[in-house]
Amino acid sequence: MPSSASKSVLRYLVSIFVVAVFVFPIAWFALTSIKPISAVFNKDRVVVFDFKPTFDNYRVTVLGGEKENLVGGQSASMGTSGKGAYDGRGSIMSSLIIAVSSTFLATFLALLAAYALSRMKFWGSQGYLNWVLSQRFLPPVAIIIPLVFIFHDLGLRDTHLGIIIAHTLINIPIALLLLKSFFDDVPIEIDQAAMIDGATRFQCFYLVVLPMIRGGIAATAVLCFIFSWTEFILSLFLTNTIRTIPVKITTFVTSTGSEWGYISALGTAAIIPGFIFILLVQNHLVRGLTMGAIKD
Amino acid sequence: MGSAQVRQTSKGKLPRWLTSEHPLPWLFPVTSILVVFGLYPVLYSLWLSFYKRNPATRTEKFLPSWNWNKLIGDERVWDAVTVTFTYAAIALTIQLVLGMLIALLLDSDRRGFGLFRALMTLPLVVPPAVTGMMFLLMYDSSFGVISNALYSLNLLSPDHPILGSGSTALWGVIVADVWQWTPFMVLIMLAGLRALPKEPFEAASIDGATAFQSFFFLTLPMMSKIIALAVLVRGIDLFRIFDYVKVMTDSGPGTATETLTAYAGTVYFKSANFSYASTVALATLILVLVVSTVFIKVFKIRF
Repeated sequence: MPSSASKSVLRYLVSIFVVAVFVFPIAWFALTSIKPISAVFNKDRVVVFDFKPTFDNYRVTVLGGEKENLVGGQSASMGTSGKGAYDGRGSIMSSLIIAVSSTFLATFLALLAAYALSRMKFWGSQGYLNWVLSQRFLPPVAIIIPLVFIFHDLGLRDTHLGIIIAHTLINIPIALLLLKSFFDDVPIEIDQAAMIDGATRFQCFYLVVLPMIRGGIAATAVLCFIFSWTEFILSLFLTNTIRTIPVKITTFVTSTGSEWGYISALGTAAIIPGFIFILLVQNHLVRGLTMGAIKD
Repeated sequence: MGSAQVRQTSKGKLPRWLTSEHPLPWLFPVTSILVVFGLYPVLYSLWLSFYKRNPATRTEKFLPSWNWNKLIGDERVWDAVTVTFTYAAIALTIQLVLGMLIALLLDSDRRGFGLFRALMTLPLVVPPAVTGMMFLLMYDSSFGVISNALYSLNLLSPDHPILGSGSTALWGVIVADVWQWTPFMVLIMLAGLRALPKEPFEAASIDGATAFQSFFFLTLPMMSKIIALAVLVRGIDLFRIFDYVKVMTDSGPGTATETLTAYAGTVYFKSANFSYASTVALATLILVLVVSTVFIKVFKIRF
């Protein structure tokens, strides 16, 4: 076939183009974060590379530095001017605390339930799974208004613990179904052999089966972390002062204008953990995103 | 590996409920969280929806059918249903077709394609609220890179900002959704393509089938289960869409991009009518449950 070489070159070129299109918004955002204000808000043309890079936006949002006074400078917006309004350190801390805790909780609790659902055949187990699945499909708005009241009564409103519980709630169905699919991969004969040797159910679970699905647990934990890290609506409704990063960023948009430098800096910083984690779980990504329905 | 270890560990040191053979202790923690913070709020919502709120006196009165009748007669709800379905249908179709095409493109073992596939997954980890910001920045009518590109191609005039015009705002939001979630489809389709058996394709090519024929008569039918699953998972998320709309347009201009969830949020935040907001939110839930149940039954999806 004479055209096969040119075909494969064409395939490379098209692939590079497609990938570039999907990477572009992130790259543009990251680029904006190191532009000086004058380059971001240039009304005459779009500034691409001809600017002097600055890390001022990161200094203010990630390190909590003072916002520079822009008297005579080119500030397109007056925005929120309160002291520390653009300090993202608190929200980074909150997001970390919430994501790590809810990941740990959801994974741990789901492990117990997933093991039972995979190993013990009991009446109603399929119904139970369907119910858990329906929780995954639950639109957050349907529970958010009562949750606001319930959290208020329990003193959980605007607390880290409250959001941790809320994120655990949305992560449990995903973690449970995913972990069950990993448990299902382990032959039940292994449990039987361990129990003939005198292990209790819990020992069999903890000492024998659990180590065999370490990779699956790690993938589950990573996905739970990403879901919690990126979650928006529950955090928005259930907090006033504790702000996770996605919610904090939206406060940088004001009726008088948006602080694009700060938005892009905090936004870019917020993407980095997810990038690192998703590259670690590439092998189990499809299974994770389909809650175990497609095995890779 | 574990049996030697196990025998050494003394039995009976663990509390009774942990050594039980009954599934209850294993399921109890998860069940209690799902019931207290998942099921109970839904019932609470339902109970709230049975109360009529009097905005003047700020009191509630038990009138079970009031909010539901109001919902049926509320034109904004029907507009929101239309927007939700339009949004979901358009976004899903584009993501499905693009996802399949890109998967076919990137399904290669040649050098570099592994990197391409890894890069394609990056949009998935961007918080949707941040995605909304990224596109807001690129859509900005004076310095946005997308707007300016469209100006120079004469596809858009500066008098009609993308998100500020009723005719284009929904498309603006859909583009952000497509950008973020097409990679999801690509990943699923790639997994499907890689799991296909080789023999039928070899047989077909010996029999003289074209690439198009083997795609439509072999690939698609063999992947129908996977495609159905992808449509289900993505479709439900599309019905629940909130983040992009809230961040990018806040339902505007007017109500051009107001989805059901966004409307529920608006009722909650702007009129503080919790009973009616709950009713609208429950309507979303009912819609999602009906559509997904029918879909799961029709396509026999099992998790």
